[in-house]
Amino acid sequence: MTKFDAYHKMKELLTNYYVEAKTTKVKPIAWITSGAPVEFLYAMDILPVYPENYAAMCAANHQSIELMDAAEADGFSQDICAYARTDFGADITQGGPAAGLPAPHFLLCSTNICKTVIKWYEVIARKYDVPLFIVDTPFLHDGLTQELIDYTVSQFKDLEKFLSDFTGKPFDRDRLREVLLLSREAAGYWQKMLQLGKTIPSPFNSLDTFIHLGPIVTLRGTQECVDYNKLLYEEIAERAGKKIGSLPEEQYRVLWDNLPVWFKMRRLEKFFEEQKCTLVVTTYANSWGQYSNYPVDPDTEPYEAIAKSYLNVYINTGFENRINYLAGLIDEFSLTGFIMHSNRSCKPYSVGMYPMQAELTKLSGKPGVVIEADQNDPRAYSDAQVETRLEAFVESMQPIDEVRT
Amino acid sequence: MFEAFHEIVTNVSETILKYEKELNRPVIGVMPAYFPMELIEAAGGYPVQLWGNNLPIEKADAYLQSYCCSVARSVMELEIRGISHMVKAYAFTSLCDTLINLREIYRRVFSKPTLELSIPITRTAIARHNYLESVVKSVTAGLEKITGNKITPDSLDKAANLYGRTRALQRRLYRLRCQKPGLVKSLDFYTAIKSGFFLPGHVYNRMLDDLLQKLEGLEAHNGSRPKLLLSGMVFDPLAIHKIIDESGACVVDDDFANGWRTVSKGDLKVANLVEGITDFLFNPAPCCCIYNPDNDRHPYLLNRVKESGADGVIFWYIKFCEPDAFDRPQLMKQLKDANIPVSFIDLELTMTNFDAVRTRINAFCEILEK
Repeated sequence: MTKFDAYHKMKELLTNYYVEAKTTKVKPIAWITSGAPVEFLYAMDILPVYPENYAAMCAANHQSIELMDAAEADGFSQDICAYARTDFGADITQGGPAAGLPAPHFLLCSTNICKTVIKWYEVIARKYDVPLFIVDTPFLHDGLTQELIDYTVSQFKDLEKFLSDFTGKPFDRDRLREVLLLSREAAGYWQKMLQLGKTIPSPFNSLDTFIHLGPIVTLRGTQECVDYNKLLYEEIAERAGKKIGSLPEEQYRVLWDNLPVWFKMRRLEKFFEEQKCTLVVTTYANSWGQYSNYPVDPDTEPYEAIAKSYLNVYINTGFENRINYLAGLIDEFSLTGFIMHSNRSCKPYSVGMYPMQAELTKLSGKPGVVIEADQNDPRAYSDAQVETRLEAFVESMQPIDEVRT
Repeated sequence: MFEAFHEIVTNVSETILKYEKELNRPVIGVMPAYFPMELIEAAGGYPVQLWGNNLPIEKADAYLQSYCCSVARSVMELEIRGISHMVKAYAFTSLCDTLINLREIYRRVFSKPTLELSIPITRTAIARHNYLESVVKSVTAGLEKITGNKITPDSLDKAANLYGRTRALQRRLYRLRCQKPGLVKSLDFYTAIKSGFFLPGHVYNRMLDDLLQKLEGLEAHNGSRPKLLLSGMVFDPLAIHKIIDESGACVVDDDFANGWRTVSKGDLKVANLVEGITDFLFNPAPCCCIYNPDNDRHPYLLNRVKESGADGVIFWYIKFCEPDAFDRPQLMKQLKDANIPVSFIDLELTMTNFDAVRTRINAFCEILEK
């Protein structure tokens, strides 16, 4: 990975976060999905814990197989999401880098990343006998409508009531507004940082952004998250200004669609470096940039803006929108091709990828490849198969210098 | 007694083409699950339910990965191969991630119109009502556009009576099976239920009525055969029922999405369509795909086992249905804790070798007989 100074700060932040989560006797713990409106929790001093983030950490630390084995021994099928299996296993064995997650007092889940999270959280709700609050964000087949926004806003109001009942305190809307502004600011820096990938050569590799996602996912809504993302942005902006590239030589610039393959980060980094290929933009890391559009106006109710942000998530949108968005990124980031990760564990991201690849190539004129893999399960991954496909893909691309001339 | 039903299930295309011509109505393909047939009927369409078949997957692989739901791959195969050529439009529900994306694939790859009944699973009642109101409006408008007919209170009323009667007759068949274990073979039973996926309501009702009249006078010769309850999303492949019949076991009840979970639904209340569809989607049988803690599957399933007198439960897993797979371990544990024997079988619609499944079913039945 590119050695950013901010990395040390991130490690410190995440360590502190997990230490607090594991030791707090004061704050209630809520397990929350990565796409759920965490701002409501921070507004009520509830500590959010992200099982998805923890599962990814387990895989990056090469611990996911033993944890999934434990879940499978408990009856969970290999066909279910590997994040869920990893977390079930971590819960059974109290395993993984933080020796399991602290037990939840309640669960908050949003369907904007998948409907699978409902099933996952139902299992947890039964196991711990805790309430589950779902913010349902229907799929945007045809874009945002006022009915969808109203539906979501209405649930936010109900969430406020739920949190108020749970904590025994009135919901603090002033604090919500403060937290929203913090989310907005952090996401703003994150978004600006990602835009620096447009620089040629790119000052970062998207594998770096996957690593540096930790704070914007788990600490979004805190001052620490703002400070960290500002630090990261400034460091990368400086590199971009000096034209310091992530790779010694950048011949190819590509997009990565879908989650990372967490257990192959190092190997893929080395592979892409040898191929002189930089991953410069990903739909996954971009997802956290969208929270940069909350309203600042203190007199305006923020709910509709929050609803729009949480509904209009890339994988919650129709294929026409996705294809146009991807084509836009290919153009804006001067890409030479795109990689689609057909991820066995993530149906909303992956089902339909083959026809989308064909359409996107037709629309953008750039080659694309679909690789069959999994975000967390090394048993569903073959180095030889993936790398052979990627090598053929790289050979099919025109180097950036030729494209530009 | 069941020959006519077997004839339909083995000649699906011919059946649909025959009645399409006879009715002169556009065939609407209904994807899994819980889309009210009543709405299509009321709009002057001819609804046929698509749950896939055992045709090998050859062309759908280019669109759907091997880890996708067996039903989705199969219905896609039928469309690509032109076998579903008579289907003029597709009606989806937002049942799961795969089906939601499948609709998007259909929209990009095929030119046939699609519509979706988006199921709001929030617990916020007012939000659910208001959103569903807009969904119902859009679905009815979509159907009217496809068929060219207006849905009227009168056409809705007639459709509700027709399909309400279908399910009432099917419930009688379910009751009979439970009260007289062994009277109806499992293969015959599900062939009779499956025929309803393809036949016009009035034709199917007549056939069911005739069947019930013949069956109701008969007595079963059960002896001490083990009684089973089956739980899963889809009761296919039908070949498994033949294995169950040969094993000597009797199926007395089920918890299939295209079985009892649908059959148990009462008449669609059309006076207030939004309330009626809410009730239709969420009641009375719970489903792994529709979050509803007011109607939890755990006590529900336990209760059904007790009421049906089943000796054991087989979980019938069609790959790669995640909602079903997530629920299974806790459900199995709960039943085991209540001293109810459980087993599960791993299936694909296109499977051709049933040896392992046969061994498993036979072994389970032997355990139940002891």
